[in-house]
Amino acid sequence: MRTTRTRLTIAATVAAFGLLLSGCSAGGGSGNTDPTNVDPDGEITPREISWLLSRPADGGVITAMEQIADEYAADHPGFALNLITTPDRPSYIQKYETLAAANKLPELFDTDATPFAQKLAKQGKMMDADALLKDLGVYDDYRPAALNYQRFDDGSLYMVPFEFQLEFFWYNKALFEQAGVEIPKTLDDIPAMCTKLRDAGITPIALDGQDQWPLERYMAYYPFRTAGPDYVQQLKKGDAKLSDATGEQAVQWLSDLGSAGCFQDGFSSTGYSDAQASFTSGKAAVYNIGTWELNSLATDALDPSVRDDIDYFTLPVTADSVTAENEYVSPSGIGMAVNTKTYDPLVRDFLSFALKRYPEVYAATGALSPTTNVETTIPANATPLYQRAVDQANDVGEQTAMPWDTQLDPTSNTRLQQELTLLLQGEVDPDEFITTMDGVIAENGPKAFK
Amino acid sequence: MLPQRSRLSVLVFLLPPLALYGIAVLLPIFQSLFLSFFDWDGISPMLFVGLDNYVRMFTGDTVFWIAFRNTLGYVVICLVLQLGGALIVASLLTLLRRGREVVKTLYILPAVISTVAIAFLFQRIYSLDPEGLINQVLEFVGLGNLQQAWLSDVSTVLVAVSVPEGWRFTGLYMLIIYAALLAVPTELEEAAKLDGASWWQTFWRIRFPYIRPVWITTTIIATTNALRGFDIPYLLTNGGPGQSSELLTTYMYKTAFTSTNYGYASAISVFVVVECLAAVGLIFLLLRRKADA
Amino acid sequence: MDIRRTITGVIVALIVIVQVYPLAWLFITSVRTEQDFAGGNPFALPTEVTFDNYARAFATGNLGLNILNSFIVTVGSIVVIVFLGMMGAYALQVLGFRFSKLVRALFLIGIIVPVQVALVPLFVDYAAVNLLDTYQSIIIPLAGFALPTSIYLFSSFYEYIPGEIYEAASLDGAGPYRIFGQITLPLSVNTMVTVAMVNSIFIWNDFIFANTFVLTDDLKTIPLGLQNYIGAMGKVDWTATFAAVCVSITPLLLVFLVLNKAMTYSLASGATKG
Repeated sequence: MRTTRTRLTIAATVAAFGLLLSGCSAGGGSGNTDPTNVDPDGEITPREISWLLSRPADGGVITAMEQIADEYAADHPGFALNLITTPDRPSYIQKYETLAAANKLPELFDTDATPFAQKLAKQGKMMDADALLKDLGVYDDYRPAALNYQRFDDGSLYMVPFEFQLEFFWYNKALFEQAGVEIPKTLDDIPAMCTKLRDAGITPIALDGQDQWPLERYMAYYPFRTAGPDYVQQLKKGDAKLSDATGEQAVQWLSDLGSAGCFQDGFSSTGYSDAQASFTSGKAAVYNIGTWELNSLATDALDPSVRDDIDYFTLPVTADSVTAENEYVSPSGIGMAVNTKTYDPLVRDFLSFALKRYPEVYAATGALSPTTNVETTIPANATPLYQRAVDQANDVGEQTAMPWDTQLDPTSNTRLQQELTLLLQGEVDPDEFITTMDGVIAENGPKAFK
Repeated sequence: MLPQRSRLSVLVFLLPPLALYGIAVLLPIFQSLFLSFFDWDGISPMLFVGLDNYVRMFTGDTVFWIAFRNTLGYVVICLVLQLGGALIVASLLTLLRRGREVVKTLYILPAVISTVAIAFLFQRIYSLDPEGLINQVLEFVGLGNLQQAWLSDVSTVLVAVSVPEGWRFTGLYMLIIYAALLAVPTELEEAAKLDGASWWQTFWRIRFPYIRPVWITTTIIATTNALRGFDIPYLLTNGGPGQSSELLTTYMYKTAFTSTNYGYASAISVFVVVECLAAVGLIFLLLRRKADA
Repeated sequence: MDIRRTITGVIVALIVIVQVYPLAWLFITSVRTEQDFAGGNPFALPTEVTFDNYARAFATGNLGLNILNSFIVTVGSIVVIVFLGMMGAYALQVLGFRFSKLVRALFLIGIIVPVQVALVPLFVDYAAVNLLDTYQSIIIPLAGFALPTSIYLFSSFYEYIPGEIYEAASLDGAGPYRIFGQITLPLSVNTMVTVAMVNSIFIWNDFIFANTFVLTDDLKTIPLGLQNYIGAMGKVDWTATFAAVCVSITPLLLVFLVLNKAMTYSLASGATKG
């Protein structure tokens, strides 16, 4: 008697949990189901739509989209665009992934081309952006590099870019002169450059170690030069290993950066603003950051004492580089995906209006548009460097160095970030680093990308 | 017990709290237990894997064991700061003639500040470049060669992330212990003093045994709070550098929400639940036995 | 003897400075100029005082609304915690029943278990019953996890209400409901204040539940609002953030200072009696 009852209770409990857990992944039977059906039939009925995004609350993208949504709402009473932003990226990712698990994603949501997003795409939960942009007649306006940045490994496109950025090595000419160093010709010149700067009592490179991604860029540089953009794609699936010649060289280079003291002491607990302040106050000689900081680095917001000394160079090559000098990290930011389930004539009509209008409004804020059909407005308080940086965007090569944090599976990525800090601080040696990382990737990578 | 209680009246009073508690706490714990037998990323179908998650946790996952060790260290440091600090300050307070109320109020103030703000603040305090408070003080007293980035050094970071947590709640524990000390009958202490006992002897022989029950309660509260510590290490270092300040809770959180490995994360949380229960049992055992002896 | 007193005084004063200094630092930083904070010594006194940071804090975020939301969530949770806590303690301690030990043990789990355990299951459950993005979705777990401590504090207080009072009331013909309303409830005021205060501190500052269950700006509480000051890639407008932090802790600080006496008194007595 007792056992029967117990068993029944267990069965009922399991069934209840099962319902709860599966209820959401299967939920939402109605709505669009075909990710390629970019032009659905039906009336345009204005309603409120939401965009879950991870961009600064008062930044260019949000201000531009708010303005555009207002313009659209003026012609379509009842329409509203609800922008829900979580600028802090880790918090955002948590929110977006739990929403996806509950099948509660809104009409539009931000995501990088991560393995998680790829799973969503494979399940047909995101509209095919390739088809959508072509159907709206805007596809050819986009910079190829901006679209390529959003693509998954198989070349498919599910996210729409809203920015275009170039990442430079900003440097202080006066400090270079003082230490008697030149702009590094190759990546291998950097450790020696650091030693000289250190000897002159200058912090060689200011690094925001707290946010992890800036250091992870350095992991991407060497292999991008020696093996090209495909390397990380093979590595993340376990098809290439860090113990290969390419990987070993890259790890050795990183270790050399560490032992040359390239980054400020205690870099791993230095935040974004402190790293930047160290460069703009003339303490550090080099600072690796993208054009989203043009307002701080190429306008009169810059401290007058360093304003005329600041210049930039792009990612140095290596002796046997397979990628060209004008190919480096040129991200188009986190992309916007369109939810298949809630896609309807209204969403299409709004996107059609917004994506055509966006480049003009956005470029007027002084930022680089992901399209080539507009001119960026140079702010009145800009230094000459601003124009040069903006012009540089038209000279970017075909291949782009992908940041590894959007490439690796999240578990390997977290571990890589941790181990990189240890490697650069000299807590682990290159061999230990390689063994650990190859092990972690072998365990998690193939599973994530099957 | 009330003589005129009826079964119905018990239910009327008991059911609402029990229902809320069941929904908010018990159900999720059971769901975690259930999830821990699955491999699930939130969006793909759930895959039953039996005990695989537990096997991996106990045999294959070095980070898990590092996190476990760090958690123990974190708890010890928090306990020393919170209970030790509380006991010392409470004792000092009983010696004060004036201003006790003011000191008490000021002493609990840190508990009011949000962890987000505390994390911002301690980043500044520990920082090397720009020079933070600790490093400035070291320089000032002529120990400039000890300056370092406290949150970047693998040997100091665990202590550095534990201190804010200990600092923040020591006031609450101090209040409790202070009240207990006040309740110690003065006659006992006077008698001991007349017998020539030193301050220390009086404290150790008379006062402390008297407050032992309160001490047990406080130890349990502080231990369980420390075992669930999360915000400050998460915000200050996110477990780094390497895994030097990774706790079980931060590791679980990352496994769930960064790696979207909800099954494995649930297995870790089941472990944390068991670990907390074991810790409380242990405290009872140790402190009770001493009391009996 | 006097020397010893003086030394004690000095030590206590030093300890108090350690405890209070951070709050002072927060307020001082919030009136610094950005350049002074970034370039100067952030621990020295400011070279000039500015309230621009407060203006920026209010311009960037939605501080007023955030405070209102935090207020609703805090008050809502506190009401639930206090009343359900009293009811539970009354059933367990005053009324009593056969399995009360078991129920107590069950509640003990809630004191021990880390809240992060509940995040994923609760999210999935909420999604199934359409509770995401509501005040209730934050209040339920906050209240649920605080309930055991609340019950514990009330029970240990009820333990010391002399049985004669109840017996006398019973002889007058009062049933369990009337006794609760006329005797237990009025006697519990100090403990109510304690439970309310201790929990407000945690609930007002809760980040994890709000971040997981709240999606729209309309419902964001203060800790979420503070996140708006963190820009993309981790860039932070520090001085404005500190200004926002100061604004956000002021209400709690005021309540705390006003109710402090009742709280410290009964927190101490509640725990020592237990």
